[in-house]
Amino acid sequence: MGKSTVTTKDDAQALFHSLRSAYSSTPTNLKIIDLYVLFAVFTALIQVGYMAIVGSFPFNSFLSGVLSCVGTAVLAVCLRIQVNKENKEFKDLPPERAFADFVLCNLVLHLVIMNFLG
Amino acid sequence: MIGNKIRHDTTWNHRDDRYGCKRTRNRGGDSVHGCKVVVIRVNLQSPNTSRLRSRTLNPNQNMAKFSIATVFIASISLLLALTRSFSVENPTDRRILVLLDDLALKSSHSIFFTSLQARGFELDFKLSDDPKIALQRYGQHLYDGLVLFSPTTERFGGSLDVAAILDFVDSGKDLIVAADASASDLIRNIAAECGVDFDEDPSAVVIDHGSYAVSGTEGDHTLIAADDFIQSDVLLGSTKIEAPVLFKGIGHSVNPANSLVLKVLSASPSAYSANPKSKLSSPPSLSGSSISLVSVVQARNNARVVFSGSLDLFSNKFFKSPVQKAGSSNKYAKSGNEQFVTELSKWVFHERGHLKAVNVRHHRVGETDEPAIYRINDDLQYSVEIYEWSGSSWEPYVANDVQVQFYMMSPYVLKTMSTNKKGLYHASFKVPDVYGVFQFKVEYQRLGYTSLSLAKQIPVRPFRHNEYERFIPTAFPYYGASFSTMAGFLIFSFIYLYSK
Repeated sequence: MGKSTVTTKDDAQALFHSLRSAYSSTPTNLKIIDLYVLFAVFTALIQVGYMAIVGSFPFNSFLSGVLSCVGTAVLAVCLRIQVNKENKEFKDLPPERAFADFVLCNLVLHLVIMNFLG
Repeated sequence: MIGNKIRHDTTWNHRDDRYGCKRTRNRGGDSVHGCKVVVIRVNLQSPNTSRLRSRTLNPNQNMAKFSIATVFIASISLLLALTRSFSVENPTDRRILVLLDDLALKSSHSIFFTSLQARGFELDFKLSDDPKIALQRYGQHLYDGLVLFSPTTERFGGSLDVAAILDFVDSGKDLIVAADASASDLIRNIAAECGVDFDEDPSAVVIDHGSYAVSGTEGDHTLIAADDFIQSDVLLGSTKIEAPVLFKGIGHSVNPANSLVLKVLSASPSAYSANPKSKLSSPPSLSGSSISLVSVVQARNNARVVFSGSLDLFSNKFFKSPVQKAGSSNKYAKSGNEQFVTELSKWVFHERGHLKAVNVRHHRVGETDEPAIYRINDDLQYSVEIYEWSGSSWEPYVANDVQVQFYMMSPYVLKTMSTNKKGLYHASFKVPDVYGVFQFKVEYQRLGYTSLSLAKQIPVRPFRHNEYERFIPTAFPYYGASFSTMAGFLIFSFIYLYSK
């Protein structure tokens, strides 16, 4: 019998391979933004893990640290959405404008973080 | 000066008056030479309108002046009398009233009385029903101590009664009460009010077939030789009393729950309190070592009272007689009565065991002046000076168990203070992490010593907002994460802008 049973493991592997090949065709600047988002999320996870061990004593400091990571991630994702050429919604938005918005929002974010850090 | 009125009178014989005028002794004459001022003389109606004292003494003023003089002299003498009394700086009593029910006691107890007088006490002997007995006059106490050698008196003379005697003790004065085999209800009531309960049976005396005093005649064993003393150097002196003390009288009991009454001389376990002439129909109510022969009470205001069940304990006969306890072969040429009574009287009249605490000071470590408020987690030092009266001067008190508490509803800090052996006690500790109004408390009660109760209030405040630590060490990862996101943002924007 030449019937090949398709298992879920094969499906997952096929999915993974197709994702990888699709991803390698994204433009470089989007890949840089994705790396930046990963860095921010990773830092946030480290802080949550630390709080789980030590306790939430200066809670404001914890929130400030986590907020800075989450905020940068969110702003980076916004930048990626606006800069991505495949997005029909933001076709008319110049990417310089998107980057300028990104920088200003980051400035506000870091001002808030420094105040709340204590 | 123009306008001054001087009454030129007949009795004035000063040569110069206060204006430098030389006057002659004229009656109403005007011969004034060399005056620097012009004086208008006016006949005055009443002397009080003049600033200058009137110099005429008419009969009314004569009487007034005389009574003013007597009041003045009386108050000066009262003042003099008071300066020689008991004072805080010199706590030994000075004037003692001795009430006797029989003046023969003056001679039969003369050794005791002369020894008191030799130590500087002024004894005032009165019969107990003398109507002129008074402890107070115009609110001032006339005596610092009272000795009641009148066991049979039913009622005191003058204004003295149980309430007056208790008032006397409540005001801090000292008392020696001696009862005897025929003690009256008055004496028993005074004792009962102070926590000492004499045997209710009026005819009972202390009998001890086990440790009576051996004498030539076969007695009924009511004369006992007691040697069960309380262990206290303050009460009975540092020399041990070798010979037993002769005692003949009634016994009393004290409530063991009462912490102010102490049994100084207890009876032996074989003693009991009963009527020696009649057969015992029921077991005696007081027996054994719970019978106290001599007790002392130190009240909370440091008044000291001695209750003795035997008046003969103080007598010359017992002081001088030899003693031998039944069942022991030691014969002592002299009983321990004189030493016992002398040492106890030194304690009662505040010649020994009287403490004072002065100079309470506290300050932060490194500073010298006393702050009005402390902060939590401050380091502070507390010091106090305690002196003991030696009978003639204040000596430094040396002990290793004086403690200070930092107290707010309960002691947060309790520290034993160290001493420099010159009377200064000090302790240093950290203010606890609680804010509120605290007290520095020193509560010192030791057997035989006056009680010290010092309290000084001091508030403690929490941190001000700028007294907290600037950077919290546990939050360093969060600080690091925030700064790393900022750095990451800068690096990212450079890379994003300048990458192809």
